[in-house]
Amino acid sequence: MTETLTLSNPRAFRPATTEPVLVKWTLITLVLAILAVLLFAPLIAVFEEALRRGWAFAIASLSERDAQSAIRLTLLVAAITVPLNAVFGIAAAWAVTKFDWRGKAWVITLIDLPFSISPVVAGLLFVLMFGSNSALGVWLVANGYPIVFAVPGIVLATLFITFPFVARELIPVMLEQGRAEEEAALTLGASGWRVFFTVTLPNIRWALLYGVLLCNARAMGEFGAVAVVSGKIRGQTTTMPLMIEMFYNEYLSVAAFTMAAVLALLAFVTLALKSALEWRYADQLAATHRH
Amino acid sequence: MTARSFSLKSPTPMPGWGLSFGIMLTMLSVVVLIPMAVLLWRGFVGFGPTGMWEVVNRPRVWNALELSFRAAFVASLFNLVFGVLLAWVLVRYRFPGKRLIDAAVDLPFALPTAVAGIALTAIYAPNGVLGSVILETFGARVAYTELGIWIALIFVGLPFVVRTVQPVIEEIDRETEEASATLGATRLRTLTHVVLPMLTPAALTGFALALARSVGEYGSVIFIAGNLPNVTEIAPLLIVIRLEEFDYNGAVAIAIAMLAISFTLLLAINLIQIWSRRRMGAV
Amino acid sequence: MNIDIEDISKDFGKTVALHPVSLALPSGTLVALLGPSGSGKTTLLRILGGLEFPNAGRVLFDGSDATNLSVQERRAGFVFQSYALFRHMTVFDNIAYGLRARPRKTRPQAAEIARRVTKLLDLIKLPDIGARYPSQLSGGQRQRVALARALAIEPRMLLLDEPFGALDAKVRKELRQGLRDIHDTTGLTTVFVTHDQEEAMELADLVVVMSMGRIEQIGRPEEIRTRPKTDFVREFLSA
Repeated sequence: MTETLTLSNPRAFRPATTEPVLVKWTLITLVLAILAVLLFAPLIAVFEEALRRGWAFAIASLSERDAQSAIRLTLLVAAITVPLNAVFGIAAAWAVTKFDWRGKAWVITLIDLPFSISPVVAGLLFVLMFGSNSALGVWLVANGYPIVFAVPGIVLATLFITFPFVARELIPVMLEQGRAEEEAALTLGASGWRVFFTVTLPNIRWALLYGVLLCNARAMGEFGAVAVVSGKIRGQTTTMPLMIEMFYNEYLSVAAFTMAAVLALLAFVTLALKSALEWRYADQLAATHRH
Repeated sequence: MTARSFSLKSPTPMPGWGLSFGIMLTMLSVVVLIPMAVLLWRGFVGFGPTGMWEVVNRPRVWNALELSFRAAFVASLFNLVFGVLLAWVLVRYRFPGKRLIDAAVDLPFALPTAVAGIALTAIYAPNGVLGSVILETFGARVAYTELGIWIALIFVGLPFVVRTVQPVIEEIDRETEEASATLGATRLRTLTHVVLPMLTPAALTGFALALARSVGEYGSVIFIAGNLPNVTEIAPLLIVIRLEEFDYNGAVAIAIAMLAISFTLLLAINLIQIWSRRRMGAV
Repeated sequence: MNIDIEDISKDFGKTVALHPVSLALPSGTLVALLGPSGSGKTTLLRILGGLEFPNAGRVLFDGSDATNLSVQERRAGFVFQSYALFRHMTVFDNIAYGLRARPRKTRPQAAEIARRVTKLLDLIKLPDIGARYPSQLSGGQRQRVALARALAIEPRMLLLDEPFGALDAKVRKELRQGLRDIHDTTGLTTVFVTHDQEEAMELADLVVVMSMGRIEQIGRPEEIRTRPKTDFVREFLSA
């Protein structure tokens, strides 16, 4: 705006809190160039490689039996993990924000712990607990409940990896909203569940959706932890990210990149919904307070 | 009811304590605490500190740990500088497509690591779009070298510094910058002596978060790394290899070594946050 | 309803909020709990409403022990300092909340709920705002809606935490009279917390001066003004 001002001084007036126009555009160009090389080029590559032999070929690679079962397994794992995580997140946020108790800070740190642990180590944890080297694992397999190299292990590993997502989003939001509305509902005679469903849940619904969205993206895309526990049995314990690796190692490039393109589209949808939430409900999200 | 007894929680009419605390503690125990305890027990009691040290203190393991840590450090350092720059551009400048760029910064959070891995490999391989250009002009190979690992880890850690620094820039009181200008400082001096110090605590927090994430990263790295023992073999991959050989003790030892690194980092993050709160709180 | 407080004490860990205090509030009085911040007045109010539990002592409603009554069972109309209106509900739904929360047997029909809400909106002299959301109201309007919401449950007493705290001077004066009128119409035992001595003196029948978790003096406004019992009361009134 200020650039359009006409001043008697030939040197255009520049506010004290801005940089020279040349510097500004150099920085913007530099940033965009780096992002292009780091973020956008790989993304374009995914779709280019997927469509290298045309749409028909790409779609045909997805309709293969193993690919189909990988898609089904990924959806199944997400369908189990995400609701469990939402329940955990709500319970943890309620316990942390509605009550005062000893050791709260420790528990919050423990909830965040999975974020700083390598996915491979996460997978290892469940191999150690339920694998063929542990008495419990042997007993479970003998009784027909295999955990490792089976779906329950994949669910547990995914649960570990995505553990903090919902709680982390809800806790700051519920802390900020305080306890007064819940207390008001109680004085008006409402029962505990009624307070939760009619007062708390409406206030946190967008934050909950936000957390669930990120949790789901991670659950569907997790590779390292799942790779360790799954055993990579084709058609049985192979999720979409693992299928990508298999196709890739078998030089089935189009199949690998087509599967990758499907997950990339999921990432787009996640980002679009996330941005829409941030734009529309900024005041009700913890993440946008951080932004 | 007047008797004073030890209680975890102060009394309140708020409902749902038992249920919420019960669900939280049960899931935390089953998913996180017990598995972690099993790992530590297997390492320290089952295998023993000396046994673990013998596993870790071999060139191949040492090289892998060093590589994971070094590459994570280099990538996070790049992200520290670039993240501050990107955050500044996103907050202070207006340009077409800004909102799209802002949303795209979170792409590494949303894109599965395996997808990122094969995509980066495709373009940075010696016959890839960018890889071939770099090979011709600089004579350097990117994919299947340590440089490739750096690229993958830069991708993975990109959003952290941006997202911690962005809100701090948004909240800077412009009068501080104006005050600096009225005192005769050039714009550059204002930026380096007034603005940057204000961003430092948040930038360091973001740096540590990115570091913690990239030290353990697996999915995006293994495709581009080449995975040559002692050269481009990262520590998480070595754990996977040990497991495939059914060498559980070896896997446990390397995992515990990595956890030790991660916890040092977590401690550093907490110290930085305490330090920055103390410093910035006084302003 | 008569309210008796017998040797109530309360601490939060190491900080003592209330030393044992005793107090008798006759039915139908308008009582002010007056004191600086940290004097324990809000804690005492929250104990009456069932939002905090005392460490020791008893609360009696009309002579029967109410100490262990749950917050729902107490039926205390509570007006929060921040008003705590449900931000995602309209004014109408806010006021109807307590009636709808009743068990099916005692829950009024929808038409009856609507009739009562309308009556309460008339009582607070805001008949046309039922469809609005709390964020669309002024501070004074929010306070009156919070009052109406508390009255909707046909409370046994009215408890207000700094009811005029967040308002500017002009609105404050108007709403004081509003509270007095509502108290006189309903005849409810009403307790409000304030740090403003002028407000307490002008509005209340009975003023309880508190400091550091203790009751310094109980009396009618003119009594306290003319015969302050302790140095604290004298200084607090002259401030």
